[in-house]
Amino acid sequence: MSTASSGFSLKEWVFTTDHKRIGILYLIGSIAAFTLAGLMALLIRIEQSSLGPTIVNPNTGGDQYNVWLYFHGAAMILGFLIPGLTGFAANYFLPLMIGAKDVAFPRINALSVWLFFGGIVLALLTFIVSDPPDVMWTGYPPYSIRTGGNTALYVFTVHLLGFASILGAVNFLVTVIYMRAPGMGWNQMNLFVWSTVTAFIIQLVFVPVLAAAVTMLLFDKYLGTHFFDPSAGGDVLLYQNLFWFYSHPAVYVILLPALGILFEIISTCTRNMVFNYKAAVYGGMWGIVLISGEVWVHHLYISGMPDWIRIGQMVSTLLISVPVGLLTISLFGTLYRGAIHFTVAMHYALGCLFLFLVGGLTGIPLAMTVLDVHLSETSFVHAHFHFIMGIFAAFTVFAAVYHWFPKMTGRLPGAAMGKLGFWLNIIGVHVTFYPLFWIGVKGMPRRYYDYQMFPEFEPFHKIATLGAFIVAAGMAVTILNWIISAISGEKSPENPWKSGSLEWTHCPSPPGPGNFPKDVTVTADWHPYTYGKN
Amino acid sequence: MSNHAAGHTHHWEFSWAPMVLTIGIVLVVPLTFVSWFVYKNPTLAAGFAGVGVPLLLVGISKWVAEGLSHKPLIEGVSPSALPIFIISEVFIFLGLFVSYWTMRLSAGGAWPPAGTPEHMNLALPVVMTIILVTSSVTYHVAEEKLDHGDLGGFRGWLFLSIILGLSFLGCTIYEYSHLLHEGFGPSTNAYSTAFFSITGFHASHVLVGLGVFLAVLIPALAGKTNKYFTFCAGMYWHFVDVVWFFVATQVYYW
Repeated sequence: MSTASSGFSLKEWVFTTDHKRIGILYLIGSIAAFTLAGLMALLIRIEQSSLGPTIVNPNTGGDQYNVWLYFHGAAMILGFLIPGLTGFAANYFLPLMIGAKDVAFPRINALSVWLFFGGIVLALLTFIVSDPPDVMWTGYPPYSIRTGGNTALYVFTVHLLGFASILGAVNFLVTVIYMRAPGMGWNQMNLFVWSTVTAFIIQLVFVPVLAAAVTMLLFDKYLGTHFFDPSAGGDVLLYQNLFWFYSHPAVYVILLPALGILFEIISTCTRNMVFNYKAAVYGGMWGIVLISGEVWVHHLYISGMPDWIRIGQMVSTLLISVPVGLLTISLFGTLYRGAIHFTVAMHYALGCLFLFLVGGLTGIPLAMTVLDVHLSETSFVHAHFHFIMGIFAAFTVFAAVYHWFPKMTGRLPGAAMGKLGFWLNIIGVHVTFYPLFWIGVKGMPRRYYDYQMFPEFEPFHKIATLGAFIVAAGMAVTILNWIISAISGEKSPENPWKSGSLEWTHCPSPPGPGNFPKDVTVTADWHPYTYGKN
Repeated sequence: MSNHAAGHTHHWEFSWAPMVLTIGIVLVVPLTFVSWFVYKNPTLAAGFAGVGVPLLLVGISKWVAEGLSHKPLIEGVSPSALPIFIISEVFIFLGLFVSYWTMRLSAGGAWPPAGTPEHMNLALPVVMTIILVTSSVTYHVAEEKLDHGDLGGFRGWLFLSIILGLSFLGCTIYEYSHLLHEGFGPSTNAYSTAFFSITGFHASHVLVGLGVFLAVLIPALAGKTNKYFTFCAGMYWHFVDVVWFFVATQVYYW
């Protein structure tokens, strides 16, 4: 590795091994994926705004629509949420929060981010090849094997992003174990650090199983093997089991760092110690890690299974609300008697609490088998997971960008445009998804581009489409605000939100190479959330 | 990383190895596979592989060279990092084994399914086990030699380990060609599906292990070694060795 002098240098950016610059690269890549996936969402909404084919080609309508669904799902989850939270946020903030100069393996970190971009490039080939993948983000056989679409691109996208995640997991776990500032005990770590550790443990264990599953898909489709082919002794449900064995825990990979970000913002902006720190860490976060691996079967309620498994899965699925409840109590408890400062990030954080409530409560009927048999594959499910996983987690990424904007750029984010963007976003998502909850209960199926059999749903779809455009306007304002503020925003003081966390108290904004001007050590009475004292 | 890692660095650090390596990986694996198997375009596949393989080799060489010549930010943590990585390797093998067990147990008594050769060669896996265990021992001896400062002995025993690893792969090729000749290929039946996937995936790990050994041996010829890298190469090799016990017992002898 080489070193070079200060000043902007393209070479130092593209070949960087610095965790902060890698974090920024992750942010750029994941926002790009978000934007494209968001455009797909708009196409989907426009298509559904009227009965029959609206903008799809009536002859190939289904295939074309499937490609949009594929790209929207895969790019949002694998290209935006996971890299946005465990790539961007973890890279930029985690080493700063524990007082480290960098991660343990800076070059492996760089390898991770470029593998992530490799995955993005493969996903982008969707728009170039004549046979784009059309397998949702789930890739269920037998469709994914029989389709004329290019399932291989889907498989390799998962491989590259998965490999990037595993390398990230190894890197960050070692970093937290060995590179904390001298004196920093386990119970003195920021909750974002804990949440990243637990999320990476889940990635480490479960991503390989997804990699194995999609590899078998690849072999079945292109090498003629029979893993998922019942006619030759394979098992088609095997894929669904392996897929959700990863992809349900993947929800917690997104949830945990998202909650970690909320803890940082809410604690700082309410000037309160995090309520029930240890319960949040050991009960909430570790509880989720413990239970995450035994709830996946609830994705297969209607795929066929003995009733006794359904009951057991219902219990374990509902059980996950215990650790999640502990974390929620900690979040709300932190607000209690706080001196709340309504920064833009705090707007998003409070909005997230509301989204989390709606998304969480609509999850309970879906955990119940008796109700889920009716609601499964309807737009109720679609609206539920968009609230709890999609929008909630996306809002935490935006909150993180706003909260740490001064840290990353040395400038304050524009508050007026930020709040305008927030209100457009939160109003837009409610306008979009409340109608979908409602018609879902009435029987509107997911994933259909044409719903001629349900003409009564058309007005609801029109409202949902309107909502999607409100969100698009909100996101345009938000991203524009970031660009304007980064270029010409007001210069920020060193610690604009008066945080007690190391990344604000001990290093300049933006931090230079090596992060900290002086080596950081912390004392036994130091804690990132000691706000009660000031 | 910088030479004054112990103190403060005032420079942005960079390395082009990760990006070159990534481009190599993307060209060699996804793009070559897609060109060959999806678009049936051998010229395109050869083109991707032809550009990708040199990039891969250049990237790895640069990476190893940097690793041997620069002092890292924190030293000696790689022996703790590799076991964490191995956890995920264990789970990828588990995914394959679980699929095999599912197919096998749901087949009832009809196992092995039609199309499987009457007599699988069960002597060869014994030979392969002996080869692989021996190679783990020889690598251990190589490490001992290095600990005692005997660089020549280290090179010799490492070279022997590589030869043993290559003979293991030779056995695999011999076995595969015989089975394919008998009409037992990946697409024959459920057993062949699991057999070729699991043994093939294990063999690919042996290949990676040999690549790592080469990356240890070549600098060692110039007198450059790193005890953590050497240790990790061995740990990975022993892991691949342990996996083989599961492959042999589950796929051949059950």
